[in-house]
Amino acid sequence: MSRLLGRRFAELHAAVPGLPLASSRVLPGVVLRRDFAAYCPTDGELRALLVTEPLRPALTAPGVEFVVDSEGQYQASLRWIAERTEALMKRLQSNNVKLLLSSVKQEEVVIYSAKLYGVSVVECLSSEEMALISEITGVSPYAPFSDNMDREMTETAVVTFCQPLLLASKRCVHIGFTSVCAFQPHCLILCGPVDGVNEQHAAALQEAFTMLQQLFKTVDQREEGWKAEGESQSEASDICTWHSSAAQKQVVIENTCNINQVSECQLKALSDETERKILESDLLVHNRKNHSALVSVAHNTDTVTACEGLDVGKGLEKACCHVVPFKREENCAGIAQDYSNCLIEAGSVLPVGGYFEILLHYYIQDYAKQCQQSEVIIVSNTVADALLSIPKALYQTAERDGFTKFYLEAVNLLRKNQPLPVNDEGLESVYCKYQLVISVLHCVTELLSIDLVIGIRRPLQKTEDRDSEDDS
Amino acid sequence: MSRLEAKKPPLFISEPLTGDAVSQSLSLLSGILKSSYGPAGRLKQLHNGVGGCVCTTSQSSALLGHLSVSQPVLRVLTASVRNHVSRFSDCGLFTAILCCGFIENFRSLNVAPFTVIKISKHLLSLCMDHLKSEACGCRVSVDFSSVETLVCLVRSILTSKPACMLNKTEVDHLTSLVLKAFIFTVPCHVETNAVLGKCVIIPVKGRRVVDSTVLPGLLIETPEIQLENSLAVKRTGSNMIKIALFSVSMSGDGFNPEEGTIAVQHGVSLEVSELNQLLNVGKQLVKDEVGLVVCQKVMHPSLKQYLKENGVMAVDRAGLSLMEPLGRMTGSQPIASIHSLSPGCYGSLKDLCFEGFASKHFLHLIPEDTVICSLVLCNRSETAWDELKRVCETAEHVLQLTVKEPLALLGGGCTETHLASYIRHKSSSLPASTFKDLDCSQTQYQLVADGFCRSLESVARSLSHDGEEILTDMVYGHCWFVPSGSPCVSKWSDLVSKCGCGMNGNTEDLSWRFLQYQSGSPFIQACPKEPSVKVADLLTLDCFAAKCSGLQVALETANLILDLSYIIEDQN
Repeated sequence: MSRLLGRRFAELHAAVPGLPLASSRVLPGVVLRRDFAAYCPTDGELRALLVTEPLRPALTAPGVEFVVDSEGQYQASLRWIAERTEALMKRLQSNNVKLLLSSVKQEEVVIYSAKLYGVSVVECLSSEEMALISEITGVSPYAPFSDNMDREMTETAVVTFCQPLLLASKRCVHIGFTSVCAFQPHCLILCGPVDGVNEQHAAALQEAFTMLQQLFKTVDQREEGWKAEGESQSEASDICTWHSSAAQKQVVIENTCNINQVSECQLKALSDETERKILESDLLVHNRKNHSALVSVAHNTDTVTACEGLDVGKGLEKACCHVVPFKREENCAGIAQDYSNCLIEAGSVLPVGGYFEILLHYYIQDYAKQCQQSEVIIVSNTVADALLSIPKALYQTAERDGFTKFYLEAVNLLRKNQPLPVNDEGLESVYCKYQLVISVLHCVTELLSIDLVIGIRRPLQKTEDRDSEDDS
Repeated sequence: MSRLEAKKPPLFISEPLTGDAVSQSLSLLSGILKSSYGPAGRLKQLHNGVGGCVCTTSQSSALLGHLSVSQPVLRVLTASVRNHVSRFSDCGLFTAILCCGFIENFRSLNVAPFTVIKISKHLLSLCMDHLKSEACGCRVSVDFSSVETLVCLVRSILTSKPACMLNKTEVDHLTSLVLKAFIFTVPCHVETNAVLGKCVIIPVKGRRVVDSTVLPGLLIETPEIQLENSLAVKRTGSNMIKIALFSVSMSGDGFNPEEGTIAVQHGVSLEVSELNQLLNVGKQLVKDEVGLVVCQKVMHPSLKQYLKENGVMAVDRAGLSLMEPLGRMTGSQPIASIHSLSPGCYGSLKDLCFEGFASKHFLHLIPEDTVICSLVLCNRSETAWDELKRVCETAEHVLQLTVKEPLALLGGGCTETHLASYIRHKSSSLPASTFKDLDCSQTQYQLVADGFCRSLESVARSLSHDGEEILTDMVYGHCWFVPSGSPCVSKWSDLVSKCGCGMNGNTEDLSWRFLQYQSGSPFIQACPKEPSVKVADLLTLDCFAAKCSGLQVALETANLILDLSYIIEDQN
């Protein structure tokens, strides 16, 4: 449901400039931002038909020649067209269809005969609006002339009400559809002094819906749940590159890290269960000489992030945060056995105000202390410190030493294993934060790996993204 | 190949409100708006150096529509006010002046914008709660069973724009016309979903204002001078005139421009064919006893002639804007085809006559049940007529808004000073928990509240243009004007006779004080009372819905502007 909301938000809201914010409201049904081409008031339930082509038959068509032999024949043809249009309206009326929703502009004659037969018409619906209505009602557009005229009109949508709505002194169409899916259509009327403000509020709300979709995703220990979830992961799949090579039981990691050195290494599959995947994790890979070490770092990083995720999720649910003892093992399967399957549970949230960053900072530092490789320790500490830039920015405006105070309080509580204070200012999704951190690390790695920027004259041809088909 | 121009980098301005240029532009804009405010407002003449029309006005919609504002910050302000005006027609200057006041007063405070915004939102909610409560002393309820308050409302709007150049008699005349026109648009038989009708304004320039009039029904301008005074129109059995409305062209050239080709054989003429069809339609109309045919587009002269010979009156080129009210008034359906003529499309009229105004001739369509009327509006000059038209439209809109919410606010600055008194009283008696909730200190709250009140009072002060002293009283919180050049007297009551809105007289001692309140001087503001009796019959009243929304929009816009810390301007 929130997916539909997020995807179709543009059609599910209408902005009204010039009114105070407090006038914003939610209306049941769908609001189409145009006036009726024909409006015939009706009471009670009615049926609506979706059309995508002109309802008036044409005399000629592109590439078709219409030969006029006599004046009588010409008039008869025009009369036939008029009668045909009328006959269609008559059929609509007998099928209780009192609303035509058309994606194209209809001829004046069509509007005229619709009015005569008590059929309201809304024209020029965008393809998005048509798609939304189809999705809500489960009805697809009707082809008026392609099939038998006498065929029963089954593809009609049930409409509970259909009326004009005055929005910002503009007449709009307000329709209540009976939904065939879980989503009960409602429309948000957003008010604000100027358009720009409304646009920003709309964008923020749409992003909130996107966030809510992500909120209920889970990450399990071996990242499998991730892929299983499937849809709308185009960005996510950019973050981590998956290579399916079950047949070969081999995984390729691309490392574009070190200074102008691209190392491609073939690695043995980590275990039977995890043969299909490996997380690209090149941040920590600095000057690696031997492959086995690379593997170990690779899954260490994986585990680091994973562990943080796990603890963050748990901590929030129990409102107290434990440091989960972290055992370093060469064998990834071993790690998998040590922890529960779920790293981030569905719906995990944390209070806003830098708590996620502080927690992650604390755990990465803690991890670094147990580490033996000096490179890992250095990088871990760098990442941990970088995370603090968020709470620093948040608390610099409030008062002097605001950040230091916040930091010491939080770290003290964590050391004593006490719950962090919960504020009522808001919550943030742990899953989204987790994705964000991964994206940032990925981006930083990429930037650090660039050693030369070359200016070229001709713009680059965009290569088609082969991974885009998994986006629903 | 077109030349590619290098893209300019975006212009990046930090702290946009601190610049001198913005301050100057803001005070210039605020000065223009303040000097235009109210019945004594100074007019602005807008004209282009190249030539063309001149516009003399003191209306926000005309002013802001023509001013080119270069500062992005101020463009937000003007866009906001224009949006407000397009919703409510009224209180544009109020909103703009108040918004400027908020910006000027708040940014000079040494309080973080974030805190200012939180506090001012709280103050706004206090105002709105007060305005919506029964006990509010600055609002009156509008009684639709008598015209008295409605007259006050319309009068106040008409007199607030001096560029209309109206004298007292003309104001009275127009007030009654506007009200009459509004009452025409209210349907007599109320169904479940009552829809107000429409008042069409007919321009007649170069005539005296008192020649203006309101007629039920519609006027269609006819270029031909019709000499016959009594019209011999065909009537039906029930003495009504049957009318047919055509939205399709009847000129005979209506071949549909379709894709593809039409091949016409030798000797066949589509024009003749079309004309024959038109004459068939004519025959049908005559047979159906239609008395009047109105065509939105052009009618073929032969068809016109045919109809005339058969006693059917024909009017063409009526234009699109007339079609909807015509259809509604006569109950007819505009016919969009000359191939299918349904008898259900015809409508009916009660009567038809000719009217002449100045050098113009009109066909007057008189309906049975009138929700559509015509206001024939006259004024001497073009620019004064334009201003008067906007004012009349505003008045009609305000009456419509008042039907929805039968309340009005006191005008003449009294609502502003009353609200300021109320806020001063209320903000001094807030519980400590309020400050805690807002995460601010009491001092900060008081500073912002003071700025808020001064902004409101600056709107009232803008009504004075001739150096009148402005007072407010400590009892009702109303606004009082002392004529400039008044002698120094010990008692204020000797100088003031009634308050700005006309509700209170000087009979009791109301402990007046100067409105130019010094923030240092301490005084205790009691909660302003609701006056028990009113003094004058003619109160100055403002539209409730427009002013409430204007107040909210002004603050929201000011907060939006105060919150700006960077402006990034695309220069391409």
